[in-house]
Amino acid sequence: MSALRLTSSFRAATRSVAAARVARRTYADVADGALKLSLVLPHQAIYSASGVTQVNIPASTGDMGILANHVASIEALRPGVVEVIEEGGKVNKWFVSTGFATVHGNNSLTINAVEAYPLEQFSLEAVRAGLAEANKVIASSAPEAEKAEAKIELDVFEALQAALAK
Amino acid sequence: MFARAARPALTVARSAPIKQQQAGMATLKEIDQRLKSVRNIEKITKSMKVVASTKLTRAERAMREAKKYGTASNELFNETKAEENVDAKAEKKILYLAMSSDGGLCGGIHSSVTRAVKKQLLEQPGKIAIVGDKPKAQISRIAADSIVVSFSAIGKDVPTFAEASAVADELVKADAEWDEVKIISNHYLSAIAYEARETTVVSAAALSEAAGFQAYEMEEDVSKDLAEFSLANAIYALLVEGHAAEISARRTAMENASNNANDMMASLQLQFNRGRQAVITNELIDIITGASAL
Repeated sequence: MSALRLTSSFRAATRSVAAARVARRTYADVADGALKLSLVLPHQAIYSASGVTQVNIPASTGDMGILANHVASIEALRPGVVEVIEEGGKVNKWFVSTGFATVHGNNSLTINAVEAYPLEQFSLEAVRAGLAEANKVIASSAPEAEKAEAKIELDVFEALQAALAK
Repeated sequence: MFARAARPALTVARSAPIKQQQAGMATLKEIDQRLKSVRNIEKITKSMKVVASTKLTRAERAMREAKKYGTASNELFNETKAEENVDAKAEKKILYLAMSSDGGLCGGIHSSVTRAVKKQLLEQPGKIAIVGDKPKAQISRIAADSIVVSFSAIGKDVPTFAEASAVADELVKADAEWDEVKIISNHYLSAIAYEARETTVVSAAALSEAAGFQAYEMEEDVSKDLAEFSLANAIYALLVEGHAAEISARRTAMENASNNANDMMASLQLQFNRGRQAVITNELIDIITGASAL
């Protein structure tokens, strides 16, 4: 118990040190307070340890916003929009299929997604067509494995449609 | 093992030219034929080298991105130190995953993986899964009984995430009883150097037991999904890196083969010219001796 208290006080101490450091920013390096985001896909690294202000992620338990010094946590992602607010205030929206977001103790956030594209690159027409296709497979007498795949497709397309309608 | 097998072939090749020299004139046509075949081989190896060079730029680019992906995925394992937790266990079950490919003509890529697997097996026995036909053939010679599952037809082109997840899926299905997977694959050190190294991915149970993992907040237990996803991620990153190493090794191997063919062509050409010269000189001698006899 006392050890626990000790660690919490220690953590508070390190945090105050971090706060003190913000005052004297150094060149090139990301400011100490900023959240370091790595948003990576198998074939492309969109952000790699770059400093951002806020990231909103579609966690499976509900949407959540992550700011700097967030508590360490692991979140499974559902299909949805990852919103990145960069340090200059520029907002980038990416639609991710699924993946995992992990906030580490060292103020870094890593998002491993299987696929992600800028939201504005999707066409609503194609989404509707895909949605209809998935529905058709589910209604048909296809094997169970195919139906399960179609159900996942349906989830993604519905999320995509909702995101585009906003 | 490889060098010993290569040696007899080498001595055979060496004894052949001596025979031809003894036979002398009659071999002029043979030398010409050999020259032609070596020239054709050189053309083939040269074009294979060009193909490998163009593929290499693509493979290297894919590798750089995949490495970033792998590092991001691995950060969790570094933070939680789950590996140490497994190491502390007295009886841990290990699944070795040897990753290489089906393609030949790329130097010691496959045997470097096999050697590393062999070394690991001596230290700590375990089950083996294999990606690629070449390492499968080599490993089944030393430990055929331990092979659980093997995959082929991966690595013809830059590996995709779908392929990596298919491999991970099979591993989970085939042999669910492991505490950690040790992936042994070639790491790309530079354009001319590669090295077989191991990367460890722990199972879901080991991950959730790890002390560092408790520090992370989770609303529901995602350790199983996370462990499987991380396994696929690690497999993907290493497959792509191994692919780049293989292509670069193939480029080097084909470059060496072309150089050797050029050397052979030069020496055969010289031999051919000398032979032809000898034929002409012999004919001249015949004419002169004939003329002086009259």
